[in-house]
Amino acid sequence: MFFNLVRKNSSRNRKENGLLFVSLVVSIIAFYIILSLENQDVMVFLRTMESDAVSRLLSLIPVMYVVTLFILFFLVYFAGKYNMDKRSHELGMYLMMGMGRGRLLFLLLAEELWNSVLSLIVGIPAAVFLSEMVSLITAKVVGLGIIGHHFSFSLSAVLWTITGYFAVRLAALIILSGSAAGKEITQLLSGAEDKMHKRYHTLPGVIKAVCGLLLLGAAYTMAIMGVSWSSVGKMGITVIFGIAGTFLFFKGIGVLFSIVLKRKKDENGLAVFTFRQLQEAVFHKSSSLAVSSLLVLAALCCFGYGVSVSLSFQERNNHATDYTFQGEGAEIEEQLESLGLKDDIKQLFEVRTGAFASDEEGTSFSVKGITDILEKQEESKGKEVLLNNLQYFTYPYLISLSGYNRVLQSGGKEPVQIGDKEAVFYFGKDFSSADTAEVLKTVLKEHAYVEINGEKIQLAEQYVQENLVTDRSINIQYGLVVTDSVFDNLLRGKYDSYWNASLKDELVEKDGLIRAIRRVNGILNNSPLVYESYLQNIGRQMFYTVAASYTTIYLAVIFLIISNTVMGVQFLLQQQKNKKRYLTVIRLGCQSKELCASARRQVSWYFFLPVITALAGSVFGVRSLLTGMVSTSMGTRTGTMIKIAIPMILLLFVVEFIYIFAVKKMSDKRIRRLMEMKREDD
Amino acid sequence: MNEKILEVQSLQKYYGKRNAVTKALDGISFHVAQGEFIGIMGSSGSGKTTLLNCIAAASRPTGGKILMKGQEIGALRGKKLADYRGTSIGYLFQNFELIDNLTARENIMLPAAIHNMMGKGGEQRIQELTDYLEIKDILDKYPSEMSGGQKQRVAAARALIMNPEIVLADEPTGALDSKNAKALMNKLCGLNEMQKSTILMVTHDPNTASYCSRILFIQDGVIFHELRRQVPDEARDDFYERIIAVLAQLGGGSANVL
Repeated sequence: MFFNLVRKNSSRNRKENGLLFVSLVVSIIAFYIILSLENQDVMVFLRTMESDAVSRLLSLIPVMYVVTLFILFFLVYFAGKYNMDKRSHELGMYLMMGMGRGRLLFLLLAEELWNSVLSLIVGIPAAVFLSEMVSLITAKVVGLGIIGHHFSFSLSAVLWTITGYFAVRLAALIILSGSAAGKEITQLLSGAEDKMHKRYHTLPGVIKAVCGLLLLGAAYTMAIMGVSWSSVGKMGITVIFGIAGTFLFFKGIGVLFSIVLKRKKDENGLAVFTFRQLQEAVFHKSSSLAVSSLLVLAALCCFGYGVSVSLSFQERNNHATDYTFQGEGAEIEEQLESLGLKDDIKQLFEVRTGAFASDEEGTSFSVKGITDILEKQEESKGKEVLLNNLQYFTYPYLISLSGYNRVLQSGGKEPVQIGDKEAVFYFGKDFSSADTAEVLKTVLKEHAYVEINGEKIQLAEQYVQENLVTDRSINIQYGLVVTDSVFDNLLRGKYDSYWNASLKDELVEKDGLIRAIRRVNGILNNSPLVYESYLQNIGRQMFYTVAASYTTIYLAVIFLIISNTVMGVQFLLQQQKNKKRYLTVIRLGCQSKELCASARRQVSWYFFLPVITALAGSVFGVRSLLTGMVSTSMGTRTGTMIKIAIPMILLLFVVEFIYIFAVKKMSDKRIRRLMEMKREDD
Repeated sequence: MNEKILEVQSLQKYYGKRNAVTKALDGISFHVAQGEFIGIMGSSGSGKTTLLNCIAAASRPTGGKILMKGQEIGALRGKKLADYRGTSIGYLFQNFELIDNLTARENIMLPAAIHNMMGKGGEQRIQELTDYLEIKDILDKYPSEMSGGQKQRVAAARALIMNPEIVLADEPTGALDSKNAKALMNKLCGLNEMQKSTILMVTHDPNTASYCSRILFIQDGVIFHELRRQVPDEARDDFYERIIAVLAQLGGGSANVL
């Protein structure tokens, strides 16, 4: 009998709170995927190359897991609280019928346990399956190939998922039952007391909304200008401003409904009813709406940042050469031939570079021809950085034109053509930012020049950025590409040679780049050749991309699920609580179609308010993340922002569509049930 | 004789199946004339609220007919049924059933908004009603800011805003103290006399019932007795005495008294 009751109650809870149940299953899937990250093909591959970084990332996973469990706890707690309020009368009845409080607690515990077990039975197999899919898709996308894939099942991930999940649900239940146990039976029987309707005052509302907007404006300005990133204290102030602003904004946003209500007061239909319901919901639940909005914002920022990092991976993936060898060219060719790699590798070519020692007798170097033009430019961050850096540009790296043109050709680019009195400014990719690049472009267009040994060398109107080597054998910030004769003349044999080569196209097409390089590296490792391959480069890039995308997408999904479930559950419970109002409207002759339409409109507004606020915030949020955390040339280019925005909005659209659709369906079902009840309530 | 507004013919409402059938209404017939103030009295479970719900089309009868101005309401469906609920009848509930997050004005105008009648003389009607019911000063207040009596008068204005054929009042004084109950009944009586509003009121309170012009007593799902007030000769106090006498018979059971 007791277990029959447990089963029936659990089943009813699942049906009435289907949204919460599904969201919890999705959380279980997300937990498993992130906890079993080390088994993903791409991580297994990265571990062989970047084991330290991968270990550091994996050591961060438990922290992320605990943080998300903490947030999930609030979702479970609030949803449980509403459910307890709703069941208050029922619990009172059990006590009235003589059920002991201990047994009642055991009943609730058993119900919770049963539902948790069911969600795990659904969630874990789905998680294992999805984790495999993600592993295969990522491996395919990054070019690892899926041939070496093995099915993986992480027992520790399953155990941690179950432990965390149970811990959160039981902790919430214990706190909730504690408060229910302290109540008198009559209190339980009379159910949750309806809060008296509070009058909404316009002026304080306007003040709160305006203050909220001002604080939000201040927070975003600080973040975008980069002020927040200068110290922990300033970042703290920005975060406090942002959070306080959001809370105040939602506290005051009821003003919006007062305006709408004024305009709609003589309108036919349920407009006044709809907006009064909304005004009350937003007024009473402004804090949880603010929290939901902040969570959606966090999700969008995480996702936007993740997308931007993977975009930068794509941008960097265009490379010119696969290998860089160091040593004598003839020796390298000989070794390659003896290793049987001659047929795998395209022709070797040499890139020569060396520092021009301007402090030796009879030599001099000056960048006055650049700095003079630079000083005339408008004040900007880029100008300041360039002026500062160029002060130390006294031993310029010279790069021979023939070698550099081979690099360009190898990357499918047009070679550069200059004379002996000309040079091309080399601006290392890793050192450039959108600000500095912009300023440098302008300066070079104004006929900038350098002086070497007192001789004026005119700079080309465009700078170059192609890497000289495949990875990090040499990494130059500023340099000058000069003709071979000038190069030889100035350096007099004091230079380094880097021998670049690429794998043949047929080989790459057959095996995929990564597999091909790995095979060749296997052979090269057994030779005395000093080399670096693009694998190190791509490995590092891939690590950043995978680390950023996995973690940010995980957080984005969790945040989105939690925020939307909070909003959905809250709306439906509020509707349940106010069912008397709906009954009155039905009694006054309203048809189910109109009432459902009114509720649907409420759902749309209830979801759109926090989501639109978060979306507006994310425009600034993602920009400030890029300002603070991405130092490459991505910067704040509009094109990049649009590329980030499209998947972001798409993700948000899909998630919101699913949630809003589900909540509207449930709301319709409830209203129809009320109509049925009304017909048969005598 | 006045025109018949409402006709109830052999109305039955049964609950349960086969061996456990409860006959809430078991073949009730009566009619209500235009401008009449009719009361329905009976003990708890006698079927009076069931009767009101059947007339309000909130509950489907098992048998018999209800005709409103000759139109059978059992045949109404969809929009016509909703229009009937909203415009042909006005319902006054025991617990007021005001929507607590709407102001008094919004509550009163809600039926007009639902039935797309906003702006069609509604303002003038609200003016008349609020003047008469003395609720003009509280139109912008929420129910939580009103007294019980004010709430019920606002509910009365809402029931009357659409100029219904008949007002159905279910224990309208049930949640009011005696002073407010008296004030409300005086207002309803006035509406009946001056505006010729037809009112069908369910009550178990003889004092409230004494305002009616005719009372039907229901017991076990059938009409047990009917009292008519001799207007204008019979004073309300005398009518009250007669009601009490019938109630005493009801309490003792028909076999012993009649």
